[in-house]
Amino acid sequence: MEQEIFQLSYLQAIVPELLLLVVGLLLLGVDLVLPEARKRELSVWAAAGFAIVALASPLAYLGEPQFVFGGMIGSEPLNAIFAFIFAMAAFLVALLSRDDERLEPSGVYYALIAFAVIGMDLMVAATDFIMLYLALELTGLSLYLLSAYDRRSRFSVEAGMKYFFYGSVASAVMLYGITFIAGLTGQTLYLGVRYLFASAVMPAWFGMGVLVLILAGVGFKVAMVPLHTWAPDVYEGAPTPVTAFLSVTSKAAGVMALMRLLVWIWGSLPSHAEMTSLIAALAIVTITLGNLFALRQKSFKRLLAYSSITQAGYVLVGVTALSPMGLTAVGFYLAIYAVTNIAAFTVLVLVSNRSGSDWLRDFVGLQQRSPALALALLVALLSLGGVPPFAGFVGKILLFAAALKSGFVWLVGAALANVLISLYYYLNAVRMAYTRAEEPVEPLSIPVASRWVLVIATAGIILGTILAYPLYHLLERAAMVWF
Amino acid sequence: MSQYALIGVYLIIALIFGVAPPLLAWFLSPKKPNPYKGEVYESGIKTFGPTWIRFKPQYYLFALAFLVFDVEAALLLPWAVAYLWLPLYAVIEAVIFILILVFGLVYVWRRGWLTWM
Repeated sequence: MEQEIFQLSYLQAIVPELLLLVVGLLLLGVDLVLPEARKRELSVWAAAGFAIVALASPLAYLGEPQFVFGGMIGSEPLNAIFAFIFAMAAFLVALLSRDDERLEPSGVYYALIAFAVIGMDLMVAATDFIMLYLALELTGLSLYLLSAYDRRSRFSVEAGMKYFFYGSVASAVMLYGITFIAGLTGQTLYLGVRYLFASAVMPAWFGMGVLVLILAGVGFKVAMVPLHTWAPDVYEGAPTPVTAFLSVTSKAAGVMALMRLLVWIWGSLPSHAEMTSLIAALAIVTITLGNLFALRQKSFKRLLAYSSITQAGYVLVGVTALSPMGLTAVGFYLAIYAVTNIAAFTVLVLVSNRSGSDWLRDFVGLQQRSPALALALLVALLSLGGVPPFAGFVGKILLFAAALKSGFVWLVGAALANVLISLYYYLNAVRMAYTRAEEPVEPLSIPVASRWVLVIATAGIILGTILAYPLYHLLERAAMVWF
Repeated sequence: MSQYALIGVYLIIALIFGVAPPLLAWFLSPKKPNPYKGEVYESGIKTFGPTWIRFKPQYYLFALAFLVFDVEAALLLPWAVAYLWLPLYAVIEAVIFILILVFGLVYVWRRGWLTWM
């Protein structure tokens, strides 16, 4: 496939990333000249920047699907949609960071968020193994630093170190897998490798072996079992807004990169039944393990960490389908999951601002202290649990329907049983919030920025159901490009 | 398939080559431990103070700042060599690249990280 390395029009395909780079550098620059007392204003600057990026993200699609920059990345509707989702998540998290009293965000903090989003945009858009690896590393390095951002907290530093060591090993293993591909096929472009795989020049076991190595890097980002062990400690130790950010965005980027690899390359192997069985098995183990650990948690932050492992497992059920329907469902669920999880973490930030800890028991009496906050928690957790009428329910239906249509009846059955288990701990947290406290409680006011985050996120959870059809239709048309 | 068998044989030999020397050394070497051998410097020089000290993290900052120039040199050299054949956009790209690096330098400077503390 001959393709030009550079044309001026290609720059349009990376408009979100270019804008993010400008936003990141501007934030670093402003941080230098801004006096210490006005550092809090940076969150508004950052949020405004991310909002502009979100609005500009449709530009990334050049009107028809094509490869740009010598085939390194694609310009597709799906990439533009995910650039929007990531920028929105960054926008919400930037606002949320302002209200976390335990965090003192500087320009570096927001710039790192911007750089992480660049990496994640490129992870979704990458159509070349080298590009995928670079994007993965850019995302990883930014997120390691963000996890360790609260230098006064031992847990935060520990989280950063653990994340860094796990992440470096995982991406090294993945790079090792890529060397096999590059060495034996002489190709790093997805389509070139796909052609060699599909024409059975490569033996099937070789393809599977390489896939396992590459799964290490991508599965690490998704926190897929058995690469999930870093997740609870990192999620618990990192500053809460950072946890909210990395539990939704880097996961989504990892899933999309994995899905593209499977659909574009490994799905074309003459016998790919073993591969889908492998992903299905990993999906169900991920769901079950996350659930079992979440059941026993006393810290709400850790509960959400295990719950997000489970949620990634549900998404993998959709990945297993390897069909346009599966891809559509995965996209839909990731978008919904992003707003839902950020809503849950926002409530956690506000509650732990007062209590100084992340314990579940701090939520007792939340309904008396702030009815609106308790309601937001209710909506978010019910949506995560998949209770109608919230968007999480629609998302799960779509995922399971796609898997059923591809013939994974046992997988959907097991996943459904797990949905029931997960309701126990989600509803338990809701029950805490709606239990009356024994001693008198002081009211909890919601700061302006967090109020906006909650309004937008909750609106997303509800609109996800109301607008399910147009959203699904949009994603479906975007998903068709891959097949 | 026989070609893959060759790779297998190669792997086994490579493994033996890697593992055999340390194992052999461990079996064959005479072991006569004494307290002087356990010291930090076998030459017998005493260490000053405790050996488990912390390095100043500022070394890392300097290394990072050095990277600005290092990367600049490594990437600009091929660019400069091919300068005569490059289209206009390559020049603009290089200028943007240098500007970003200059920004990095200014950032480090304004932060006061260039003065040794």
